[in-house]
Amino acid sequence: MSDTPLLEGKNLSKTYHLGQSDIHVLRGASLQLFEKQWITILGTSGSGKSTMLHLLGGLDRPDSGGGVVLFRGDDVWSRSNKQINQYRNNDIGFVFQFYHLLPELTVLENTMLPAMVGGSNISTLEARDLASSLLDQLGLQHRRIHRPRELSGGERQRVAIARALMNSPSILFADEPTGNLDEETGNEILDVLSQLHQDGLSIVMVTHNTEIASRGDLIVHLRHGQIESPATMA
Amino acid sequence: MYQTLLTTRYLTSRVIPLIAVAAVALCVALVIVVVSVMSGFLNMVQSAGRTLMGDVVISYGISGIPHYEELSHRLENDPNIQGASPIIDGWGLLRMPYPDTDAKKSVTVQVWGIEPESFARVTQFDASLQWKTTSSNQLHWLLIDVCTKHSETLFASMDAQNRESCLNLINDASYLLKHQQLDLWNELKSIVGQEIWEMILSHDERLSNSDAVFQQGLTLSRNGRDAIVSGLHVSDGNVRQKDGTYQVVRNDYWWLPRFDGTLTMLPIDARGGIIDPESVIMPFANEFQSGVFIIDESRIFVPIGVTQRLLHLDAAEIVDSDDPTIILGVDPARSTSVLVRGIEGVPAEQLRTIVNGIYDEFRASLPADTLVMPPTRSDPGLTINTWQEQQRSFTGPVEKERELMRTLFSIVYLVVAALILSIFWSIVYEKTKDIGILRSVGASRGGIVWIFLQYSLVIGVAGALLGLLIGWLITKNINLIHTSMGNPPAILAVVSFVIAGCIAVYTVTKSRSGLLLPFVLGSIGFVVFCFIGGIVLYIKHIGGLVIWDASVYYFSVIPNQVDWPSSIFTMVGAVVFCLLGALIPAAKAADTDPVEALRHE
Repeated sequence: MSDTPLLEGKNLSKTYHLGQSDIHVLRGASLQLFEKQWITILGTSGSGKSTMLHLLGGLDRPDSGGGVVLFRGDDVWSRSNKQINQYRNNDIGFVFQFYHLLPELTVLENTMLPAMVGGSNISTLEARDLASSLLDQLGLQHRRIHRPRELSGGERQRVAIARALMNSPSILFADEPTGNLDEETGNEILDVLSQLHQDGLSIVMVTHNTEIASRGDLIVHLRHGQIESPATMA
Repeated sequence: MYQTLLTTRYLTSRVIPLIAVAAVALCVALVIVVVSVMSGFLNMVQSAGRTLMGDVVISYGISGIPHYEELSHRLENDPNIQGASPIIDGWGLLRMPYPDTDAKKSVTVQVWGIEPESFARVTQFDASLQWKTTSSNQLHWLLIDVCTKHSETLFASMDAQNRESCLNLINDASYLLKHQQLDLWNELKSIVGQEIWEMILSHDERLSNSDAVFQQGLTLSRNGRDAIVSGLHVSDGNVRQKDGTYQVVRNDYWWLPRFDGTLTMLPIDARGGIIDPESVIMPFANEFQSGVFIIDESRIFVPIGVTQRLLHLDAAEIVDSDDPTIILGVDPARSTSVLVRGIEGVPAEQLRTIVNGIYDEFRASLPADTLVMPPTRSDPGLTINTWQEQQRSFTGPVEKERELMRTLFSIVYLVVAALILSIFWSIVYEKTKDIGILRSVGASRGGIVWIFLQYSLVIGVAGALLGLLIGWLITKNINLIHTSMGNPPAILAVVSFVIAGCIAVYTVTKSRSGLLLPFVLGSIGFVVFCFIGGIVLYIKHIGGLVIWDASVYYFSVIPNQVDWPSSIFTMVGAVVFCLLGALIPAAKAADTDPVEALRHE
């Protein structure tokens, strides 16, 4: 691992305003992710772990003066909207607990979506080939023309992973990727992530399950909006 | 690229875009039909105006223009002018030949005294004549009239028995012909013999010449007498049929060219006082139909000489007020107006300028010692107007009505806009989560908005085209639809009730499962079809319905030409409203935080 973190969240704070009261979800949480590292953020419900992931993944903005997110040393949230979109599209991939696939698109089209959105450097045909091979790798070759509603939970999550990998991101963010699956299927998904990690992908995963957390290189505990104890697993 | 894919999928996987297209189409069709009918209506009024009075009208109130023959002559010599015709425009009372009792009906009529020959050059008088030939029933009535009127001379040479049978035949026919078809012509011809038959025919030109009724209309004369050509709706004898044709009641018994009428007019003296009314009994030669109901119900044409005599506008000697035996000169005959028609391609405004110049020349050409001079152009009583200006009092309200309709329908446009906005609001709202997903994979706000703009563009264009098609079909067939609505086929009621019955059975069967939707839909369908069937039966019961009443709307047919400029404007408006309706909720949705959008359920 190089000395410069691939991604760094510094002193991140996030407050939600609910009516008259303010909820301080994150209170100066910091995190460093290096190349080819798998960090698991462990915490109870409401501890702010998903929020942390959203801030790091460019989906949600920290409070004003509430820390910075540095990707390859560059502040993500000080970029232009266009650059933030590029960050979401190119540099990272997101896997959600509830899959978040577009119901009107087929499995293949859902997988190709980031390439199409990026308007990208590759042609439709190439994107199709790439998406097909990703689906093949994930054992979904027979599901290409199916709609998400025709798939099981595990299959949907694998489609979501394929979509996240479409633009060859540097980091994969996984928000409770097994939270909606039975144990066996969840393990299959974790196996897929492990394989990707072994192939060199950096991963930030959020979970409340200690056993699942143990799959990563490093577990960080998030409690009351702050990182408590980084612990190296392997 | 992903926008087009998503737009296609959104359009093809849901019912709601179809509802949106239908809503847009119905609104567009509604506006197209209403505006087309109103515009067509105005065009008909305007073109009828031009047909009836030419392009430019020179008028000088009640006292009339002296030396009008010279003016007409000068006008007709101008290469830009196709024809000029003097008329006398006045009001009178016309005593009609009906009913059969002595208490005949009298109607107020607008009397136009015309020179038929020049009048036909300026207006389409010949084309407007109703009776081009004489029908067999009409011939029979004319035959009965001649035989009744001249029975003594005609049948004098016949023996008593033959005369008796002739008179019986005529008497029976005059009763029976009101109700049934007869072959009086051949029957009578065989009884009376060739010589008397020819005598009979010689009494009325129309008996031997089928074209005579038309020619008599054109010349305003009947069998050598000055005659009246009256508007088709002046007489109560003409009844409009549902198919738009006319029939004369009682098998042509009340066919006006059989009869005479008494025309009474009020002459006015130089100081505006009324002189004793003047009356004349004149035969009817023909009837005309201009297509403008208020003209057809009130106007009659008579030869200009008749009106000049009745209104004391004919030439008269001017005598010395102290010694009536001394004749100072002649006050020439007058006409109240001169109608002018330009050759094709000369605009009415330009023609008016030409007519102004000719009028000035005409006045200047009269010798200085002329006893009675025509008015100068600065005389406020003299007007030289184009047909549009002359018709303003008539077309003005129609134009106002059209503008009022446009304004009212602008509100319909707003309703369309609100409808589209609410449909798109719900469509976009439903897709909020998709927007969150797209944002999470890097889609820009503009990219998101473009999905919904494409979506609304397709709905707007499809709706506008479908609306145009529906509007075009309705407008083109509006008279047929009107007739069918006024007199719907009974089978429609039967079909409606059968469908209602089927729906009832289906609903009862489906509702057993306890589901509410089939019950609600079935009940609505049942009520709607029962309602349609009931309405059809009701219209049948009251003997048909006339929605477009010619007496209210001036014309006997509903205009059925699509107003293309307004239609295209409406279509473009619908598309723009669709785009705006989608833009607002889409922009709002694109601005939603991705995380918040993802949480949307």
